[in-house]
Amino acid sequence: MIVKRANPQPGLWNKLQMAWVRLHQRWPNLAASLPFVPLVFSWWLTAWLEVFPRAFFPGPGDVVLSMISLIYKGILPEYLLDSVTRLIVGASTGVAIAIPLGVLIGMSRRANTVLWPPLLFFQAVGDIAWLPILLIWFGFGLTTMTFVIVYTVLFPVVLNTVLGIRSINPDLLRAARSLGASQARMIWEVVLPGALPNIMTGLRNGLGYGWRALIAAEIIVGTSGIGFLMFDARRAGSVVEIMLGMIVLGLLWYVVDAWILAPIERATGERWGMVTR
Amino acid sequence: MKSLTLNQLSKTYFDPYKGTQVTALEDVTLSIAPGEFVSVVGPSGCGKTTLLNVIAGFLPESGGSVRVDRRPISGPGPDRGVVFQSFALFPWKTVLDNVGFGPKMRGVGREARDAIAMEYLQLAGLAHAADRYPAELSGGMQQRVGVVRALANEPDVLLMDEPFASVDAQTRLTLQEELIRIWLDRQTTVLFITHDVPEAVFLANRVVVLSKGRVMDEIAVDLQHPRKWDDLIENDSFKSLSARVLQRVRAA
Repeated sequence: MIVKRANPQPGLWNKLQMAWVRLHQRWPNLAASLPFVPLVFSWWLTAWLEVFPRAFFPGPGDVVLSMISLIYKGILPEYLLDSVTRLIVGASTGVAIAIPLGVLIGMSRRANTVLWPPLLFFQAVGDIAWLPILLIWFGFGLTTMTFVIVYTVLFPVVLNTVLGIRSINPDLLRAARSLGASQARMIWEVVLPGALPNIMTGLRNGLGYGWRALIAAEIIVGTSGIGFLMFDARRAGSVVEIMLGMIVLGLLWYVVDAWILAPIERATGERWGMVTR
Repeated sequence: MKSLTLNQLSKTYFDPYKGTQVTALEDVTLSIAPGEFVSVVGPSGCGKTTLLNVIAGFLPESGGSVRVDRRPISGPGPDRGVVFQSFALFPWKTVLDNVGFGPKMRGVGREARDAIAMEYLQLAGLAHAADRYPAELSGGMQQRVGVVRALANEPDVLLMDEPFASVDAQTRLTLQEELIRIWLDRQTTVLFITHDVPEAVFLANRVVVLSKGRVMDEIAVDLQHPRKWDDLIENDSFKSLSARVLQRVRAA
Protein backbone atom coordinates (compact mmCIF):
# COMPACT_ATOMS: atom_id res chain seq x y z
CA MET A 1 0.00 0.00 0.00
CA ILE A 2 1.31 3.40 -0.91
CA VAL A 3 0.85 6.25 1.50
CA LYS A 4 1.16 9.71 0.07
CA ARG A 5 3.01 12.19 2.18
CA ALA A 6 3.90 15.84 2.00
CA ASN A 7 7.34 16.31 0.52
CA PRO A 8 9.79 16.31 3.46
CA GLN A 9 12.40 18.15 1.38
CA PRO A 10 12.45 21.83 2.42
CA GLY A 11 11.65 24.18 -0.44
CA LEU A 12 13.47 27.37 -1.26
CA TRP A 13 10.96 29.44 0.69
CA ASN A 14 11.47 27.34 3.85
CA LYS A 15 15.23 27.60 3.48
CA LEU A 16 14.97 31.37 3.23
CA GLN A 17 12.74 31.46 6.29
CA MET A 18 15.17 29.32 8.27
CA ALA A 19 18.11 31.49 7.20
CA TRP A 20 16.15 34.57 8.30
CA VAL A 21 15.41 33.05 11.71
CA ARG A 22 19.11 32.21 12.22
CA LEU A 23 20.13 35.71 11.14
CA HIS A 24 17.56 37.27 13.42
CA GLN A 25 18.78 35.26 16.39
CA ARG A 26 22.34 36.32 15.83
CA TRP A 27 21.58 40.03 15.26
CA PRO A 28 18.23 40.89 16.84
CA ASN A 29 18.50 44.56 15.82
CA LEU A 30 18.58 43.57 12.16
CA ALA A 31 14.81 43.12 12.11
CA ALA A 32 14.38 46.66 13.36
CA SER A 33 16.45 48.09 10.53
CA LEU A 34 14.63 46.13 7.82
CA PRO A 35 11.68 48.57 7.46
CA PHE A 36 14.20 51.31 6.65
CA VAL A 37 15.50 49.49 3.56
CA PRO A 38 12.71 50.65 1.19
CA LEU A 39 12.79 54.11 2.80
CA VAL A 40 16.51 54.58 2.21
CA PHE A 41 16.19 53.07 -1.26
CA SER A 42 13.53 55.56 -2.37
CA TRP A 43 15.56 58.38 -0.82
CA TRP A 44 18.60 57.24 -2.79
CA LEU A 45 16.53 56.84 -5.98
CA THR A 46 14.99 60.35 -5.67
CA ALA A 47 18.42 61.87 -5.14
CA TRP A 48 20.01 59.80 -7.94
CA LEU A 49 17.32 60.79 -10.45
CA GLU A 50 17.92 64.42 -9.38
CA VAL A 51 14.23 65.14 -8.99
CA PHE A 52 15.35 68.07 -6.85
CA PRO A 53 18.65 69.94 -7.20
CA ARG A 54 21.47 68.02 -5.53
CA ALA A 55 22.31 70.86 -3.13
CA PHE A 56 18.75 70.87 -1.76
CA PHE A 57 18.29 67.12 -1.71
CA PRO A 58 21.50 65.15 -1.21
CA GLY A 59 21.46 61.33 -1.25
CA PRO A 60 22.34 58.82 1.50
CA GLY A 61 25.90 58.57 0.23
CA ASP A 62 26.50 62.30 0.66
CA VAL A 63 25.17 62.15 4.22
CA VAL A 64 27.38 59.17 5.08
CA LEU A 65 30.44 61.00 3.65
CA SER A 66 29.54 64.08 5.66
CA MET A 67 29.17 61.91 8.77
CA ILE A 68 32.58 60.34 8.25
CA SER A 69 34.14 63.75 7.75
CA LEU A 70 32.48 65.20 10.84
CA ILE A 71 33.47 62.21 12.95
CA TYR A 72 37.02 62.50 11.65
CA LYS A 73 37.13 66.17 12.59
CA GLY A 74 35.80 65.26 16.02
CA ILE A 75 32.84 67.64 15.73
CA LEU A 76 30.05 65.05 15.63
CA PRO A 77 31.26 63.00 18.63
CA GLU A 78 31.78 66.18 20.65
CA TYR A 79 28.38 67.65 19.81
CA LEU A 80 26.67 64.33 20.38
CA LEU A 81 28.33 63.99 23.77
CA ASP A 82 27.25 67.55 24.66
CA SER A 83 23.62 66.88 23.75
CA VAL A 84 23.47 63.51 25.51
CA THR A 85 25.14 64.91 28.64
CA ARG A 86 22.62 67.75 28.77
CA LEU A 87 19.79 65.28 28.36
CA ILE A 88 21.11 62.96 31.08
CA VAL A 89 21.76 65.80 33.55
CA GLY A 90 18.40 67.43 32.84
CA ALA A 91 16.39 64.22 32.77
CA SER A 92 17.88 62.76 35.95
CA THR A 93 17.33 66.04 37.79
CA GLY A 94 13.78 66.11 36.46
CA VAL A 95 13.06 62.53 37.51
CA ALA A 96 14.66 63.08 40.93
CA ILE A 97 12.21 65.94 41.54
CA ALA A 98 9.23 64.41 39.76
CA ILE A 99 8.94 61.01 41.46
CA PRO A 100 8.97 62.30 45.09
CA LEU A 101 6.57 65.07 44.05
CA GLY A 102 4.28 62.54 42.37
CA VAL A 103 4.37 60.28 45.45
CA LEU A 104 3.54 63.24 47.68
CA ILE A 105 0.59 64.31 45.53
CA GLY A 106 -0.59 60.74 45.03
CA MET A 107 -0.47 59.85 48.73
CA SER A 108 -1.61 63.05 50.44
CA ARG A 109 -4.97 64.67 49.83
CA ARG A 110 -3.66 67.94 51.25
CA ALA A 111 -0.60 68.00 49.00
CA ASN A 112 -2.91 67.26 46.09
CA THR A 113 -5.16 70.22 46.94
CA VAL A 114 -2.21 72.59 47.22
CA LEU A 115 0.00 71.37 44.38
CA TRP A 116 -2.35 70.15 41.67
CA PRO A 117 -3.69 73.53 40.39
CA PRO A 118 -0.24 75.17 40.04
CA LEU A 119 1.03 71.98 38.43
CA LEU A 120 -1.63 72.20 35.72
CA PHE A 121 -0.96 75.92 35.30
CA PHE A 122 2.77 75.48 34.75
CA GLN A 123 2.25 72.45 32.55
CA ALA A 124 0.27 74.69 30.20
CA VAL A 125 3.15 77.19 30.04
CA GLY A 126 5.19 75.06 27.67
CA ASP A 127 8.93 74.53 28.01
CA ILE A 128 9.90 76.63 25.00
CA ALA A 129 7.72 79.48 26.26
CA TRP A 130 10.16 79.83 29.15
CA LEU A 131 13.13 80.45 26.87
CA PRO A 132 12.77 84.24 26.49
CA ILE A 133 12.74 84.87 30.21
CA LEU A 134 15.40 82.19 30.91
CA LEU A 135 17.73 83.83 28.38
CA ILE A 136 17.39 87.12 30.27
CA TRP A 137 17.88 85.45 33.66
CA PHE A 138 20.59 82.88 32.94
CA GLY A 139 21.96 83.85 29.55
CA PHE A 140 23.05 81.45 26.79
CA GLY A 141 24.37 78.62 28.92
CA LEU A 142 23.96 75.19 30.41
CA THR A 143 21.63 76.48 33.17
CA THR A 144 19.06 77.60 30.62
CA MET A 145 19.14 74.33 28.73
CA THR A 146 19.05 72.20 31.89
CA PHE A 147 16.08 74.20 33.13
CA VAL A 148 14.19 73.55 29.90
CA ILE A 149 14.82 69.80 30.01
CA VAL A 150 14.00 69.49 33.72
CA TYR A 151 10.82 71.42 33.08
CA THR A 152 9.84 69.21 30.15
CA VAL A 153 10.60 65.91 31.87
CA LEU A 154 8.93 66.94 35.14
CA PHE A 155 5.26 67.08 34.14
CA PRO A 156 4.74 63.76 32.36
CA VAL A 157 6.62 61.94 35.13
CA VAL A 158 4.69 63.66 37.96
CA LEU A 159 1.29 63.17 36.30
CA ASN A 160 1.95 59.52 35.47
CA THR A 161 3.35 58.80 38.94
CA VAL A 162 0.17 60.21 40.49
CA LEU A 163 -1.95 58.20 38.06
CA GLY A 164 0.07 55.07 38.81
CA ILE A 165 -0.35 55.46 42.57
CA ARG A 166 -4.09 56.08 42.26
CA SER A 167 -4.51 52.95 40.14
CA ILE A 168 -2.87 50.64 42.70
CA ASN A 169 -5.42 48.12 43.99
CA PRO A 170 -6.37 49.52 47.45
CA ASP A 171 -6.34 45.95 48.81
CA LEU A 172 -2.56 45.87 48.23
CA LEU A 173 -2.11 48.90 50.49
CA ARG A 174 -4.45 47.38 53.06
CA ALA A 175 -2.60 44.07 52.92
CA ALA A 176 0.72 45.82 53.51
CA ARG A 177 -0.69 47.80 56.44
CA SER A 178 -2.17 44.70 58.08
CA LEU A 179 1.14 42.88 57.61
CA GLY A 180 2.76 45.60 59.69
CA ALA A 181 4.26 47.95 57.09
CA SER A 182 4.96 51.52 58.21
CA GLN A 183 4.13 54.43 55.90
CA ALA A 184 7.76 54.73 54.78
CA ARG A 185 8.14 50.98 54.10
CA MET A 186 4.85 51.05 52.24
CA ILE A 187 6.13 53.68 49.79
CA TRP A 188 9.21 51.64 49.02
CA GLU A 189 7.61 48.17 49.03
CA VAL A 190 4.17 48.82 47.52
CA VAL A 191 3.60 52.34 46.19
CA LEU A 192 6.69 52.71 44.00
CA PRO A 193 6.67 49.23 42.45
CA GLY A 194 2.89 49.45 42.02
CA ALA A 195 3.20 52.75 40.17
CA LEU A 196 6.30 51.69 38.21
CA PRO A 197 4.58 50.77 34.91
CA ASN A 198 3.00 54.24 34.85
CA ILE A 199 6.23 55.90 35.95
CA MET A 200 7.94 54.21 32.99
CA THR A 201 5.27 55.59 30.64
CA GLY A 202 5.87 59.04 32.12
CA LEU A 203 9.61 58.63 31.71
CA ARG A 204 9.20 57.55 28.10
CA ASN A 205 7.03 60.59 27.31
CA GLY A 206 9.23 62.90 29.39
CA LEU A 207 12.46 61.80 27.74
CA GLY A 208 10.87 62.06 24.30
CA TYR A 209 9.62 65.60 24.98
CA GLY A 210 12.89 66.48 26.73
CA TRP A 211 14.94 65.36 23.76
CA ARG A 212 12.88 67.52 21.41
CA ALA A 213 13.00 70.49 23.78
CA LEU A 214 16.77 70.14 24.01
CA ILE A 215 17.17 70.33 20.25
CA ALA A 216 14.91 73.40 20.17
CA ALA A 217 16.90 74.99 23.00
CA GLU A 218 20.20 74.23 21.26
CA ILE A 219 18.92 75.85 18.09
CA ILE A 220 18.04 79.01 19.98
CA VAL A 221 20.65 79.04 22.76
CA GLY A 222 23.23 76.91 21.02
CA THR A 223 26.92 76.96 21.32
CA SER A 224 27.27 73.21 20.67
CA GLY A 225 25.14 70.06 20.37
CA ILE A 226 23.16 68.35 17.62
CA GLY A 227 20.55 71.13 17.50
CA PHE A 228 23.33 73.68 17.09
CA LEU A 229 24.97 71.54 14.39
CA MET A 230 21.74 71.61 12.39
CA PHE A 231 21.13 75.31 12.84
CA ASP A 232 24.73 76.14 12.04
CA ALA A 233 24.47 74.03 8.91
CA ARG A 234 21.41 76.04 7.86
CA ARG A 235 23.50 79.21 8.09
CA ALA A 236 26.09 77.57 5.84
CA GLY A 237 23.35 76.21 3.59
CA SER A 238 24.51 72.63 4.11
CA VAL A 239 21.45 70.41 3.67
CA VAL A 240 23.70 67.37 4.08
CA GLU A 241 24.54 68.24 7.67
CA ILE A 242 20.92 69.12 8.50
CA MET A 243 19.84 65.68 7.28
CA LEU A 244 22.67 64.09 9.23
CA GLY A 245 21.45 65.85 12.37
CA MET A 246 17.92 64.58 11.81
CA ILE A 247 19.12 61.01 11.32
CA VAL A 248 21.27 61.16 14.45
CA LEU A 249 18.24 62.36 16.46
CA GLY A 250 16.13 59.42 15.29
CA LEU A 251 18.89 56.86 15.82
CA LEU A 252 19.71 58.11 19.28
CA TRP A 253 16.09 57.85 20.39
CA TYR A 254 15.92 54.32 19.06
CA VAL A 255 19.02 53.43 21.07
CA VAL A 256 17.57 54.94 24.28
CA ASP A 257 14.36 53.01 23.78
CA ALA A 258 15.87 49.67 22.77
CA TRP A 259 18.80 49.62 25.20
CA ILE A 260 17.40 51.39 28.26
CA LEU A 261 13.62 51.77 28.43
CA ALA A 262 12.44 48.51 26.85
CA PRO A 263 14.77 46.27 28.95
CA ILE A 264 13.58 47.98 32.16
CA GLU A 265 9.96 47.41 31.15
CA ARG A 266 10.63 43.78 30.30
CA ALA A 267 12.27 43.20 33.68
CA THR A 268 9.50 44.88 35.71
CA GLY A 269 5.86 45.40 34.70
CA GLU A 270 5.87 42.74 31.99
CA ARG A 271 7.71 40.23 34.16
CA TRP A 272 5.22 40.78 36.99
CA GLY A 273 2.21 40.36 34.73
CA MET A 274 1.06 43.94 35.40
CA VAL A 275 1.38 44.98 31.76
CA THR A 276 0.38 42.81 28.83
CA ARG A 277 2.92 42.67 26.06
CA MET B 1 -4.19 32.51 69.76
CA LYS B 2 -6.32 35.23 71.30
CA SER B 3 -9.97 36.18 71.65
CA LEU B 4 -11.79 38.75 69.54
CA THR B 5 -14.53 40.81 71.20
CA LEU B 6 -16.93 43.19 69.45
CA ASN B 7 -18.97 45.35 71.80
CA GLN B 8 -21.96 47.29 70.41
CA LEU B 9 -19.99 47.97 67.27
CA SER B 10 -21.62 50.42 64.85
CA LYS B 11 -20.62 52.03 61.59
CA THR B 12 -22.37 54.82 59.74
CA TYR B 13 -20.99 56.68 56.79
CA PHE B 14 -22.02 59.61 54.63
CA ASP B 15 -23.28 58.75 51.16
CA PRO B 16 -22.27 61.70 48.95
CA TYR B 17 -24.67 60.65 46.18
CA LYS B 18 -27.76 60.38 48.37
CA GLY B 19 -26.60 63.12 50.75
CA THR B 20 -27.64 61.05 53.75
CA GLN B 21 -26.06 59.01 56.52
CA VAL B 22 -26.13 55.28 55.83
CA THR B 23 -26.00 52.73 58.63
CA ALA B 24 -23.89 49.71 57.69
CA LEU B 25 -23.50 48.27 61.19
CA GLU B 26 -26.20 49.02 63.73
CA ASP B 27 -25.11 47.18 66.85
CA VAL B 28 -22.85 44.14 66.61
CA THR B 29 -21.90 42.39 69.81
CA LEU B 30 -19.95 39.20 69.35
CA SER B 31 -17.27 37.38 71.20
CA ILE B 32 -14.97 34.82 69.60
CA ALA B 33 -13.00 32.51 71.88
CA PRO B 34 -9.27 31.87 71.38
CA GLY B 35 -8.83 29.27 68.62
CA GLU B 36 -12.48 29.40 67.60
CA PHE B 37 -13.54 29.43 63.94
CA VAL B 38 -16.57 31.68 63.38
CA SER B 39 -18.30 32.15 60.03
CA VAL B 40 -20.40 35.23 59.34
CA VAL B 41 -23.13 34.85 56.72
CA GLY B 42 -25.93 37.12 55.59
CA PRO B 43 -27.64 38.49 52.51
CA SER B 44 -25.69 40.97 50.43
CA GLY B 45 -25.79 44.46 51.93
CA CYS B 46 -26.09 43.12 55.48
CA GLY B 47 -22.76 44.68 56.44
CA LYS B 48 -20.49 41.59 56.36
CA THR B 49 -17.63 43.24 54.50
CA THR B 50 -17.98 46.50 56.45
CA LEU B 51 -17.74 44.43 59.63
CA LEU B 52 -14.48 42.86 58.49
CA ASN B 53 -13.07 46.20 57.34
CA VAL B 54 -13.81 47.77 60.73
CA ILE B 55 -12.28 44.83 62.63
CA ALA B 56 -9.21 44.91 60.35
CA GLY B 57 -8.88 48.63 61.08
CA PHE B 58 -9.32 49.70 57.45
CA LEU B 59 -12.42 51.73 58.41
CA PRO B 60 -12.83 53.59 61.70
CA GLU B 61 -15.76 52.43 63.85
CA SER B 62 -18.54 54.94 64.56
CA GLY B 63 -19.34 53.53 67.99
CA GLY B 64 -18.56 50.59 70.25
CA SER B 65 -15.26 48.76 70.34
CA VAL B 66 -13.16 45.98 68.84
CA ARG B 67 -10.77 44.23 71.20
CA VAL B 68 -8.13 41.59 70.59
CA ASP B 69 -7.88 39.93 74.03
CA ARG B 70 -8.38 43.03 76.23
CA ARG B 71 -6.63 45.51 73.95
CA PRO B 72 -8.75 47.87 71.80
CA ILE B 73 -7.54 48.13 68.21
CA SER B 74 -6.38 51.32 66.51
CA GLY B 75 -5.99 51.06 62.74
CA PRO B 76 -4.69 48.03 60.86
CA GLY B 77 -2.04 45.96 62.57
CA PRO B 78 -0.12 42.69 62.36
CA ASP B 79 -2.19 41.24 65.24
CA ARG B 80 -5.05 40.83 62.74
CA GLY B 81 -4.05 39.01 59.53
CA VAL B 82 -6.33 39.57 56.54
CA VAL B 83 -7.07 37.30 53.57
CA PHE B 84 -8.71 39.20 50.71
CA GLN B 85 -11.22 38.09 48.10
CA SER B 86 -8.95 39.73 45.49
CA PHE B 87 -5.94 37.77 46.92
CA ALA B 88 -4.00 41.10 47.09
CA LEU B 89 -0.61 39.47 46.46
CA PHE B 90 2.19 41.86 45.54
CA PRO B 91 2.73 41.20 41.80
CA TRP B 92 6.37 42.40 41.94
CA LYS B 93 7.35 39.96 44.68
CA THR B 94 7.93 36.26 44.28
CA VAL B 95 5.71 33.85 46.21
CA LEU B 96 8.51 33.44 48.77
CA ASP B 97 8.85 37.22 49.24
CA ASN B 98 5.09 37.65 49.46
CA VAL B 99 4.89 35.14 52.30
CA GLY B 100 8.00 36.63 53.94
CA PHE B 101 6.58 40.18 53.78
CA GLY B 102 5.17 40.25 57.33
CA PRO B 103 8.39 38.94 58.93
CA LYS B 104 10.38 41.42 56.79
CA MET B 105 8.31 44.29 58.21
CA ARG B 106 9.09 42.98 61.71
CA GLY B 107 12.78 43.27 60.90
CA VAL B 108 13.49 39.56 60.45
CA GLY B 109 16.64 39.05 58.32
CA ARG B 110 16.68 37.52 54.84
CA GLU B 111 17.66 33.97 55.78
CA ALA B 112 15.35 33.66 58.77
CA ARG B 113 12.33 35.01 56.92
CA ASP B 114 12.99 32.79 53.92
CA ALA B 115 12.98 29.84 56.32
CA ILE B 116 9.68 30.99 57.87
CA ALA B 117 8.12 31.55 54.44
CA MET B 118 9.31 28.14 53.23
CA GLU B 119 7.82 26.41 56.28
CA TYR B 120 4.41 27.98 55.58
CA LEU B 121 4.63 27.28 51.85
CA GLN B 122 5.24 23.63 52.69
CA LEU B 123 2.19 23.71 54.93
CA ALA B 124 0.14 24.75 51.88
CA GLY B 125 1.98 22.38 49.52
CA LEU B 126 3.45 25.29 47.57
CA ALA B 127 7.18 24.88 48.18
CA HIS B 128 7.74 24.22 44.46
CA ALA B 129 6.26 27.62 43.53
CA ALA B 130 8.46 29.70 45.87
CA ASP B 131 10.35 31.46 43.07
CA ARG B 132 7.37 32.14 40.83
CA TYR B 133 5.55 35.45 40.52
CA PRO B 134 1.84 35.54 41.51
CA ALA B 135 0.71 36.18 37.92
CA GLU B 136 2.19 32.80 36.96
CA LEU B 137 -0.06 30.92 39.41
CA SER B 138 -3.69 29.77 39.13
CA GLY B 139 -6.33 31.50 41.25
CA GLY B 140 -6.47 28.62 43.71
CA MET B 141 -2.69 28.67 44.18
CA GLN B 142 -2.70 32.45 44.54
CA GLN B 143 -5.21 32.26 47.37
CA ARG B 144 -3.21 29.49 49.11
CA VAL B 145 -0.35 32.00 49.07
CA GLY B 146 -2.73 34.68 50.40
CA VAL B 147 -3.70 32.45 53.34
CA VAL B 148 -0.16 31.46 54.31
CA ARG B 149 1.12 35.01 53.84
CA ALA B 150 -1.34 36.12 56.53
CA LEU B 151 -0.45 33.12 58.74
CA ALA B 152 3.33 33.51 58.38
CA ASN B 153 3.03 36.80 60.26
CA GLU B 154 1.59 34.83 63.19
CA PRO B 155 -1.49 37.00 63.75
CA ASP B 156 -3.63 36.66 66.88
CA VAL B 157 -6.75 36.63 64.72
CA LEU B 158 -7.19 35.69 61.07
CA LEU B 159 -9.82 37.71 59.16
CA MET B 160 -11.02 36.23 55.88
CA ASP B 161 -13.22 38.20 53.48
CA GLU B 162 -14.98 35.79 51.10
CA PRO B 163 -11.55 34.39 50.27
CA PHE B 164 -12.74 31.56 48.03
CA ALA B 165 -15.52 33.45 46.20
CA SER B 166 -13.45 34.04 43.06
CA VAL B 167 -12.05 30.51 42.82
CA ASP B 168 -13.68 27.79 40.71
CA ALA B 169 -16.10 25.43 42.46
CA GLN B 170 -13.87 22.30 42.52
CA THR B 171 -10.83 24.20 43.79
CA ARG B 172 -13.01 25.89 46.40
CA LEU B 173 -13.86 22.53 48.03
CA THR B 174 -10.18 21.60 48.15
CA LEU B 175 -9.23 24.97 49.62
CA GLN B 176 -11.89 24.62 52.30
CA GLU B 177 -10.53 21.22 53.35
CA GLU B 178 -6.99 22.61 53.33
CA LEU B 179 -8.06 25.58 55.44
CA ILE B 180 -9.54 23.17 58.04
CA ARG B 181 -6.27 21.20 58.06
CA ILE B 182 -4.15 24.36 58.46
CA TRP B 183 -6.47 25.75 61.13
CA LEU B 184 -6.26 22.49 63.12
CA ASP B 185 -2.48 22.62 62.75
CA ARG B 186 -2.08 26.29 63.78
CA GLN B 187 -5.08 26.71 66.13
CA THR B 188 -5.66 30.33 65.07
CA THR B 189 -8.76 32.36 65.92
CA VAL B 190 -10.63 32.85 62.62
CA LEU B 191 -13.42 35.18 61.51
CA PHE B 192 -14.60 34.04 58.10
CA ILE B 193 -16.97 36.18 56.01
CA THR B 194 -18.94 34.38 53.30
CA HIS B 195 -22.30 34.33 51.52
CA ASP B 196 -21.98 30.59 50.88
CA VAL B 197 -24.02 28.78 53.56
CA PRO B 198 -22.58 25.24 53.14
CA GLU B 199 -19.09 26.74 53.21
CA ALA B 200 -19.87 28.62 56.45
CA VAL B 201 -21.21 25.46 58.11
CA PHE B 202 -18.44 23.21 56.79
CA LEU B 203 -15.66 25.39 58.19
CA ALA B 204 -16.93 26.86 61.42
CA ASN B 205 -17.47 26.04 65.08
CA ARG B 206 -20.22 28.65 65.03
CA VAL B 207 -22.16 30.43 62.29
CA VAL B 208 -23.29 34.01 62.89
CA VAL B 209 -26.16 35.31 60.75
CA LEU B 210 -25.90 39.03 60.15
CA SER B 211 -28.94 41.06 59.10
CA LYS B 212 -29.26 44.81 58.60
CA GLY B 213 -26.14 45.48 60.64
CA ARG B 214 -27.13 43.31 63.60
CA VAL B 215 -26.42 39.76 64.74
CA MET B 216 -29.68 37.98 63.99
CA ASP B 217 -28.76 34.49 65.10
CA GLU B 218 -25.85 32.30 66.16
CA ILE B 219 -25.83 28.59 65.36
CA ALA B 220 -23.28 26.23 66.88
CA VAL B 221 -21.79 23.61 64.55
CA ASP B 222 -20.76 20.51 66.50
CA LEU B 223 -19.48 18.39 63.61
CA GLN B 224 -16.44 16.15 64.11
CA HIS B 225 -12.98 17.19 62.88
CA PRO B 226 -11.21 16.71 60.54
CA ARG B 227 -14.07 17.48 58.18
CA LYS B 228 -14.07 16.17 54.61
CA TRP B 229 -16.61 16.95 51.92
CA ASP B 230 -16.81 13.27 50.94
CA ASP B 231 -18.09 12.44 54.44
CA LEU B 232 -20.24 15.50 55.07
CA ILE B 233 -22.04 15.83 51.76
CA GLU B 234 -24.41 12.99 52.77
CA ASN B 235 -24.25 13.67 56.52
CA ASP B 236 -27.67 14.32 58.05
CA SER B 237 -26.61 16.74 60.79
CA PHE B 238 -24.57 18.73 58.24
CA LYS B 239 -27.58 18.88 55.94
CA SER B 240 -30.00 19.93 58.64
CA LEU B 241 -27.57 22.55 59.99
CA SER B 242 -27.08 23.98 56.51
CA ALA B 243 -30.83 24.05 55.98
CA ARG B 244 -31.34 25.86 59.27
CA VAL B 245 -28.72 28.49 58.50
CA LEU B 246 -30.10 28.95 54.99
CA GLN B 247 -33.60 29.53 56.36
CA ARG B 248 -32.27 32.16 58.76
CA VAL B 249 -30.35 33.90 55.98
CA ARG B 250 -33.42 33.89 53.72
CA ALA B 251 -35.50 35.35 56.54
CA ALA B 252 -32.87 38.01 57.23
